[in-house]
Amino acid sequence: MDTTPVIDVERLNLKYGDFHAVKDLSFQVRRGEFYALLGTNGAGKTSTLETVEGHRTATSGTVRVFGQAPGDRRTVRPRMGVMLQESGFSPDLTVRESVRLIGTLTRRRDSDARVLDLVDLTHKAGTRVSQLSGGEKRRLDFATAVYGTPELIFLDEPTTGLDIQSRDALWDAVDKLREEGSTIVLTTHYLEEAQQRADRIGLMHKGTFHREGTVSELTRTLPAVIQFALAAAVPALPLPITREHEGKLVIETFTLQKDLNLLLHWAQNYGVELLDLQAGPTRLDDVFRSIGTD
Amino acid sequence: MLAIALSELIQIFRNRLVLVSSLIMPAAVSAFFIKQHESFAEMASLGYIAAVVVFTVGAFGLYTTVVTTLASRRQNLFLKRLRSTAESDANILSGLTLPVTLLTLVQAVVILTVLGSVAGGPDNIALLVVAVLAIVAMLLALGLATAGLTNSPEHAQVTTLPVSLGTIAVASWVGISGTEEMGTLKRLLPGGSATELVVEAWNGGQAVRDSLVLLAPTFAWVVVAVVLALRLFRWEPRR
Repeated sequence: MDTTPVIDVERLNLKYGDFHAVKDLSFQVRRGEFYALLGTNGAGKTSTLETVEGHRTATSGTVRVFGQAPGDRRTVRPRMGVMLQESGFSPDLTVRESVRLIGTLTRRRDSDARVLDLVDLTHKAGTRVSQLSGGEKRRLDFATAVYGTPELIFLDEPTTGLDIQSRDALWDAVDKLREEGSTIVLTTHYLEEAQQRADRIGLMHKGTFHREGTVSELTRTLPAVIQFALAAAVPALPLPITREHEGKLVIETFTLQKDLNLLLHWAQNYGVELLDLQAGPTRLDDVFRSIGTD
Repeated sequence: MLAIALSELIQIFRNRLVLVSSLIMPAAVSAFFIKQHESFAEMASLGYIAAVVVFTVGAFGLYTTVVTTLASRRQNLFLKRLRSTAESDANILSGLTLPVTLLTLVQAVVILTVLGSVAGGPDNIALLVVAVLAIVAMLLALGLATAGLTNSPEHAQVTTLPVSLGTIAVASWVGISGTEEMGTLKRLLPGGSATELVVEAWNGGQAVRDSLVLLAPTFAWVVVAVVLALRLFRWEPRR
């Protein structure tokens, strides 16, 4: 993988009056990478994303996209596709006219038919945008973002309002774009989408990164959990109990396989039944939930 | 820019409300003035009729449509979408306002041609062209400025009233009463000197050099409106 950063953000600060929305944020996105920018509500991810897209001006710090200022539209935009969080289409234009207009203005070359087929909107090509459902508008948005297969694609809440088939089709299209070398920057509230696909994740809270890294690096920062209940008094447990939760004993561990093995052997040896036994690795949700508690 | 302009043209003809307010209403008002031209000429002059129809077309066909269009495109985030492309801000605004500006000019030419053929043509066509272009420039710039203060197309029904009714009122005041009294005030009001210019271009009787001086207050309003637009115009809705 080429390690040249497509996006280079250095000590970005954004202020709205007295409100400090983004504080000293630095990160890079490498060519071909799938980078997810996640965060709590009001964490500053939309402000960050819109600054990188060139819609906002930084209060201080530097933002470079393909080595250029993101506001340099003539240079940067032909290489970059943006799927906005909200529709942004003119209701009186048809689907085909909308794709053609935005496609033309991006200065990229593509076929309207190919792009509409990609998002399964060929049968709606002559329909006015005002008559589309919410999900169809999201697909239209995706179509304009990927028109001409740009090198860098921003996907802001891409699957909100999409049914499961449309989600699968969208992610299949994204996978194909990645195979062709596109760099993807995603924001989403569906953490499993980021967990499954992102090479790296920036987890924002209160204007800055709470954590940043691969899914594995992020989840490694929190212990996995083993929990069970006991029916009767038992000999001394082989592991310390971290806490009790809803009548269950909870063991937190950074060595899940080893400690689970130890616990099961202990139960086997003493004939102890571990009721409602649950054990699992740390998930991104757990890291997300830990924001503000550590 | 041309792609945006073409899409705007399509939208104007697909949106009945815009079509009625920008094309049919000004044409209907102008038709009334032309039909009653003898009465209005007796009360003021043919130059007055020319001025008031140009301002009617400009105020409703251009100014109000520009404000409504920009507020609508901002509200549904179409402006933000356009700014996600390689197009510059100047090109986006030019593309959005070009069709309605051209339609206004075509309307003004057609209506003034009809007036000329029915009631007698203008004394100085070149001066009349300059005056019409100055009025269009002023109303376009005022439209950009007003769009900055307008949150939605519905809001535009209120925010456009002062300028649209005001300029027509000024045109009527100057056109009917002339500038012998309170001349400085009348010329400094938006549309005042432009009205006098149209009246002189149509009626004749003034030296061209004296008439061209009247362009200064009109272009001063263009500058004021552009400065206001630069300060007030917003590309995204207020959050």
